[in-house]
Amino acid sequence: MKKKRTGFLFYLFITAMLIVILFPFFWQFIASVKPPLELFGDRAFNFIPQHPTFDNYVRVFTERPFAIYLWNSLVVSIFTTLYCILIASFASYAIARLQFKGKTVILGLILAVSMFPQIATIAPIFLFMQEMNLTNSYLGLIIPYTTFALPLSVWNLTSFYRKIPADLEEAAKMDGANIMQTFWRVVFPLAVPGTFTTAILTFIAAWNEFLFALTINTDENMKTVPVGIALFQGQYTIPWGEIAAASVMVTIPLVVMVLIFQRRIIAGITAGAVKE
Amino acid sequence: MWRTWTQSEKRMGLILILPTLITILVIAIWPVLRSFWISLYDVELNNPAKTEIHHSYGIDMEKFVNIFPLLTKNLDESSAKADPQTKQQLEEIKRKAEQLKAVLDGNPQFSRQYKQVDDILFDGQSVPDDLKIFKLDKAQADKVTGEMKVIRQQLAEMTEAHQLTDNTLAGLSNGLTESLIQPNFVGLKYYEKLLTGGRLWASLTNTMIFTVVSVGLELVLGLMIALVVNRSFRGRGLVRAAVLIPWAIPTVISALMWKFMFDGQNGIMAKFFAQIGLVSDMGLLLTTKWGSMFAVIFADVWKTTPFMSLLLLAGLQMIPESLYEAAAVDGASKVQQFFRITLPQLKSTILVSLLFRTLDAFRVFDLVYVLTGGGPANSTETISIYAYKTMFAQMDFGRGSALSVIVFICVAIISMIFVKLLGSDLISDGQGK
Repeated sequence: MKKKRTGFLFYLFITAMLIVILFPFFWQFIASVKPPLELFGDRAFNFIPQHPTFDNYVRVFTERPFAIYLWNSLVVSIFTTLYCILIASFASYAIARLQFKGKTVILGLILAVSMFPQIATIAPIFLFMQEMNLTNSYLGLIIPYTTFALPLSVWNLTSFYRKIPADLEEAAKMDGANIMQTFWRVVFPLAVPGTFTTAILTFIAAWNEFLFALTINTDENMKTVPVGIALFQGQYTIPWGEIAAASVMVTIPLVVMVLIFQRRIIAGITAGAVKE
Repeated sequence: MWRTWTQSEKRMGLILILPTLITILVIAIWPVLRSFWISLYDVELNNPAKTEIHHSYGIDMEKFVNIFPLLTKNLDESSAKADPQTKQQLEEIKRKAEQLKAVLDGNPQFSRQYKQVDDILFDGQSVPDDLKIFKLDKAQADKVTGEMKVIRQQLAEMTEAHQLTDNTLAGLSNGLTESLIQPNFVGLKYYEKLLTGGRLWASLTNTMIFTVVSVGLELVLGLMIALVVNRSFRGRGLVRAAVLIPWAIPTVISALMWKFMFDGQNGIMAKFFAQIGLVSDMGLLLTTKWGSMFAVIFADVWKTTPFMSLLLLAGLQMIPESLYEAAAVDGASKVQQFFRITLPQLKSTILVSLLFRTLDAFRVFDLVYVLTGGGPANSTETISIYAYKTMFAQMDFGRGSALSVIVFICVAIISMIFVKLLGSDLISDGQGK
């Protein structure tokens, strides 16, 4: 790390950057505690609400099925993550450690799939789900979510597996352990931190997905959080107060997660892009 | 022991990778191929005769069995209470209908299938796939279609002339015509129409403008931030966490936040931009073409620049300090150091992040869908939005699939250009180390 003088200008730059990044969140919070009348007209630009209220937060749960959206998103994201991490762990171990034909081709294929535009797969997937009566079900989202979650998991896990020192594996081999034993007893325990990081990234990707959720689960009781909030309808105007309250509630857990796991997350998102 | 390892390694490698490979083939490769397949057919989900791919002529048995008896029954009932002239006409039509059925019944297989489907429907069960359609050859199909159209025509005319009390009969004859299935293969017609029409090129242009401008800005700003932040300072962890937040939240949420702040009447950013003179009127942001394009690009830059700067920062930290020290000894200025050391060393990181960001930007959907919906007047409609609207608003899956194949081809071209630039860096499997 370089040691440079950290002067006034530097901190000014940092402060300006933080303001640009954080202001929308701050404004969203202010909007969420304003009563409807203060969201429009002259008072729309007030930084301090005159009559702060938590009504918007209450209404999101009492007048809208926000709790159901949260539950749906949670179920879909967790199962997508579990499935992808499980099969991606095997694949990544094989790619990183074992010698077999076609390995590079397979890795290239996985990378190519991660670049597929979702819109190119949606028509057949939608028609298939409709035929199998899987629209408006959890499985109807978990299956298509693997299109982006699986390549992401494999790509990240492979780079983590490559970093694990090979010595212990060699020792296990010498002791006569077979490949699966070596994987479960020696390699996998060492890969737990990387697996965890990958799980966080996969979870976030699944949690934030929009297009599949928008088209496949249209029933009010099966919508996920992003689709639910995006389609909040008011009687006359867009219900900005409620949208803000819902957004704040979705953002807070993500902020907490980012604060706790920032090092891991950064290691994860840079793993695929930066060569050491 | 060693030999068993290397032997089983090959087998185990394939076994371990199999679940991933199958999943990817089934849910990513197959759908893309299938999209291309669908794009060659006229598939429209809101047109009952075209909800799926049909290779040959045929009769939708479920529909036919449901409608035909109703039609004859209704003809009887109507003619019973009609005036003599109408009665005669209706009886004539009924004869035609029965003749039509007789022609079809001439094939014993048809009458068998008719009976089977009738029984199944009577029991209130769903018709199995193999009984759903009765195939016809073109000559038969033409004949049946001709007769059905005559019946439909006559009934429509009679309804028009108020000879019939309501349009039940006309509706039934219409339904009967719809039970006829035609092969809906159209070949490359959609591609031809799309490529010669204006909307595809307009949406492609929008997508390109969005991609080039936002990714360009993100690269420049991201590199600036990375260069400034590449040092130790107090509060570094906090800054890193803050930078991650826009990346972590759903695009939909950030799009909604900006939509609220860009609002023409109550949006604080719209007001701010108007006050500093960036736009002449705060209402222009989401109501004009360039205002909306600016809004979409601004929101994207806000959300992804931090991510870009993190990638670039990680790349910067890989550059050995000794290179700069040597350059400083040789008397190279900071600017020279940047162009001679930093940029060349950062090349592959920049290309990889550009690749990921370009592809992401090119397939942009959520942001535009929520922030502008592609409007005003399709002026921010990207290619993904166009494809989505064609498929899920117009229910035109054939044309929509052709559009999505075009998106796929564009993405493939972009990736190939980058992969060419990157060389083998992208998929090196670490064996060289």
